[in-house]
Amino acid sequence: MTKVDINGEKADVEMTIDEYEKVRKLLAREPNITELGMFDVMWSEHCSYKSSRPKLRIFEDAEANYDYVLAGPGQDAGVIDIGDGYALAFRIESHNHPSAIEPYHGAATGIGGIIRDILCMGVRPIALLDPLRFGTLKNNPHSQWLFKYVVKGIGDYGNCTGIPTIGGEVEFDESFESNCLVNVACIGLGTIEDFKHAPSRAYNPGDYVILMGGSTGRDGIHGVTFASRTLTEMSEEDRPAVQIGDPFTKKLIIEATLEAIKTGFVRGLKDLGGGGLTCATSELTGDGDTGGNIDLRKVFTREPGMNSYEIMLSESQERMAFIVKPEGLETVLDVFRKYEMSFAVIGRTDDSKVLKVFDGNNIVVNIPAKALSESPTFKREEKRPSYLDQLLSQKTPEPTIGLDEIIYRLIASENICSKEWIYRQYDHEVGVRSVVKCGEGDSGVLRIIGTNKFIAASTGVNSKHCFLDPFNGVKGGLVEECGNIIANGTKPMAMVNCCNFGNPEIPESFWYFSKSVDGMNEFCRTMRIPIVGGNVSFYNEDEVKKTAIKATPMIMVVGLIEGQDNIITLPFKEPGNYIFLIGETKAELGGSEYHSVIYGLEGGIPPKVEEVKIKEIWDFLFELYSNGMIKANHDVNKGGFIITIAEMCFKNKLGAELDLKNCFDDHLRDDEFLFSESYGRFIIETKPNDYDKVLKLAEKHNVNIKKIGVLNSTPKIIIKGLRTKDIYLDIQKLRENFESTIPNLMEI
Amino acid sequence: MAPQEFEVEITLMNKPAAKDPVGATIQKDLLAKKGYDMISNVRSGQFLRIHLKAEDENEAKEIIEKMCNDLRIFNPVTQNLTILKVSKL
Amino acid sequence: MNIKIAVIQFPGANCDLDAIHVLNNVINVKTDLVWHNHFKEEKYDGVILPGGFAFGDYLRAGIIAAHSPAIEEARIMLKDGRPVVGICNGFQVLTEAQFLPGALLQNDSLKFACKWVNLKVENNNTACTNKMNLGDVLAIPIAHGEGRYYTDKLKELEENNQIVFKYSTEEGELTEEANPNGSLENIAGVCNLEQNCVGLMPHPERASEEIISPKGTIHGQIFFKSMIEFIKRRLA
Repeated sequence: MTKVDINGEKADVEMTIDEYEKVRKLLAREPNITELGMFDVMWSEHCSYKSSRPKLRIFEDAEANYDYVLAGPGQDAGVIDIGDGYALAFRIESHNHPSAIEPYHGAATGIGGIIRDILCMGVRPIALLDPLRFGTLKNNPHSQWLFKYVVKGIGDYGNCTGIPTIGGEVEFDESFESNCLVNVACIGLGTIEDFKHAPSRAYNPGDYVILMGGSTGRDGIHGVTFASRTLTEMSEEDRPAVQIGDPFTKKLIIEATLEAIKTGFVRGLKDLGGGGLTCATSELTGDGDTGGNIDLRKVFTREPGMNSYEIMLSESQERMAFIVKPEGLETVLDVFRKYEMSFAVIGRTDDSKVLKVFDGNNIVVNIPAKALSESPTFKREEKRPSYLDQLLSQKTPEPTIGLDEIIYRLIASENICSKEWIYRQYDHEVGVRSVVKCGEGDSGVLRIIGTNKFIAASTGVNSKHCFLDPFNGVKGGLVEECGNIIANGTKPMAMVNCCNFGNPEIPESFWYFSKSVDGMNEFCRTMRIPIVGGNVSFYNEDEVKKTAIKATPMIMVVGLIEGQDNIITLPFKEPGNYIFLIGETKAELGGSEYHSVIYGLEGGIPPKVEEVKIKEIWDFLFELYSNGMIKANHDVNKGGFIITIAEMCFKNKLGAELDLKNCFDDHLRDDEFLFSESYGRFIIETKPNDYDKVLKLAEKHNVNIKKIGVLNSTPKIIIKGLRTKDIYLDIQKLRENFESTIPNLMEI
Repeated sequence: MAPQEFEVEITLMNKPAAKDPVGATIQKDLLAKKGYDMISNVRSGQFLRIHLKAEDENEAKEIIEKMCNDLRIFNPVTQNLTILKVSKL
Repeated sequence: MNIKIAVIQFPGANCDLDAIHVLNNVINVKTDLVWHNHFKEEKYDGVILPGGFAFGDYLRAGIIAAHSPAIEEARIMLKDGRPVVGICNGFQVLTEAQFLPGALLQNDSLKFACKWVNLKVENNNTACTNKMNLGDVLAIPIAHGEGRYYTDKLKELEENNQIVFKYSTEEGELTEEANPNGSLENIAGVCNLEQNCVGLMPHPERASEEIISPKGTIHGQIFFKSMIEFIKRRLA
């Protein structure tokens, strides 16, 4: 907090005194209270990315370097050209702080916000995905409460708006106990023409500025500044911080907006999210190099007597701003009338490059349109945490219980077990596009009706790995999410990220951010995957325990495939077929589920990523696909490859006999081989008569591959060839353990 | 004195400054369209009727308030709790 | 014969486009999407009230939509025997408008449920089941939070043969486990006495194309084809 004195009045602002001086310089005078509030919000961490912007500059320019990228970072969403005249828009962002204090409405309005971002690109939202983080559920009513209502909030909002939730990811870890993470992602589909119609800019002087949707109330004023502070400074009594979601109005906004765009008279479009009318009007005119006059008396308010400060800073949900050609005004308004949406023509653009806001005849804001986006940036200190050396040196204890018992425990652990309890509550089929549905594959696959194309999306990252090594951890996240969509046969097209970290003013927290960005940058440049958008959420910090959350640079990858026959699914198909393990397994148990579930350890050596090896494996898989040699594919993730095999056995009630003799290096222990979480590995099913061809292609691509077993119709997994005795696992028991954990914890 | 049986009625409503989409939609899309245009505002909420044993009315009230706070029967971030009435059974 | 069907778009409907897609592109019958305030019955041979959350399901699922002018138009169709069909939210609207008996309450799990279920055909004479056999088992998904069917006139419904679908196992057994929401007697869909008005909670439009069907079944198509057959017979 900084105390400033404006025209004899004292005010508390979030900005620093240096930033306040910069405002005075930009305006060449003292700001009034409304203007000051506008700068304060727009220059907050949340809106201005002032800590992260300098670092994010290392990313390559996706729009310039990839011909199919239509919109990259800095826009409301990334957009790519998927051919046949269609554009795909997608974005991921965080709604952590509101969800931590009101999980239902916090999560719901998070979904509301991300839907608006996609709608802004002129396309129809067609899918949602939600990666989440909570404290562990067991014996923790607070975590259970957050988990239950976040899922309900996402479900109720997404289901009501008719957008299927096709995927997500969740991890439970103590570091998220008081700072849960609610990241929300949305995908939109439209024609390239639709996308071009609706830039988030007001290019033309003389156009009308229309506000449409929900009314403006006193709720959420300064919500943005709030999101840029740590939580405990605010008590639960702090009323305006959490919004109430209204999915019904949102559904009408979606339909009215899309129909308005189809008229051809909409020339610019912006949602009102963080920063409300301030952000929308200043970015529309500032980015469009125009100016504008706005009259606040025209804004329809929910409560009487709202002043200009409140109206400009309100973050009431479910509002959109339209820039409309003068000759099309009535046509567009008729669309809004049809949907019975409230609207107001609040002003016009001009060529002044100044944003002027009037309250009737009084001018209350008079600032250069670009000034609000010219926030100062901060070069933050970064320092590797001193505790890491001790953590990384942790050794894996000798197992004192049987390996079979370990597997039964791992598959039932909160982070590995089935997430069906969640996705049953989400309508994941509305829209009749869902081809690979929740629980059926590593990613969600949607058809593009009217074409032979399919898109896939997957989201997540391993927070435990990132905690130990953010540079390799984030790369691992990319390998994993790309691996998920590749396992379904699709090719990675682009990625977006949502960086969840602690307080950037603490050098150790900023180090995690910085290393994660470095890892993302290196991997994406090497693998030629454009980064088309990102979001940063800092200050996820537990003030009581004085610890940050485990670093969580969340990734979402979107992929494309042509031809239904080329889609690969997860379940094993046929007895007699061979099981191969692709990729090298190393003694990388740091941050593994094995360490945490069996020994309560967080440390050890986490997996590293070598891009060259990953590339070879992907190329190899695509060559197998093009030869039709893969019957099932599932990427190896938490808990190691036996868990992967078990998951593949469930659906068609098959079993597997594995012989691991000569399948792993002598220096690896049995437990290291079985439970390692080394990245870039896959379990595939092939026909026996393709055996030689598979090995030959593996050699061609220099890929490490081992035939490890054969499928059968006995519901058991038998593991032979270990140094210790053979393991016999009962599929039914594995499945019960896999499926019962969350229902047992939540249905009480 | 032996504890007595009380009945407590409470409502949980969104705070006045918070939106109430349910009430607003009932008013706008049902009542106003069906001729009840004299009705200018509708707010929705939840109603609970609770029976409990307590020493007196004050204690009954205190127990309910504590229970609602402890168990997050309502979330003070968005809602208000109102005790409508406490009566001896 | 130029058959024309209307899918009503209530504010908050969200399976409207899915129904339009299936009718126009899969069943190949001319179908219009009609905004609820604009609907005029005389142009249409049948009407479908699609799934979704009409008016947000605020107050009670279906109640506000039941007061829409579209319902008065549909009432004319109901009376002269044209098919009036409600899917999911549309079924809720039809019960609230009292076209169909009973009510749909919150699932006994208290949670929304999205999953594929099996439906046993209990009456194959209705506007939407005339191309099915009694006892057929259809694979069709549900997606609802308030789908628990309840009526205090069960006996009447049974006597009048108004129960159209029941949740069952794949083998057609009416077990408790097969009942996804706690519906009375596993009831998933009912009809009016005249059998031209049918409502059901599951989504036949999501079960009409092989590509989005987990087991490749397309049982939803029979539902819509029955509706077309019913119209043809009526017009003949």
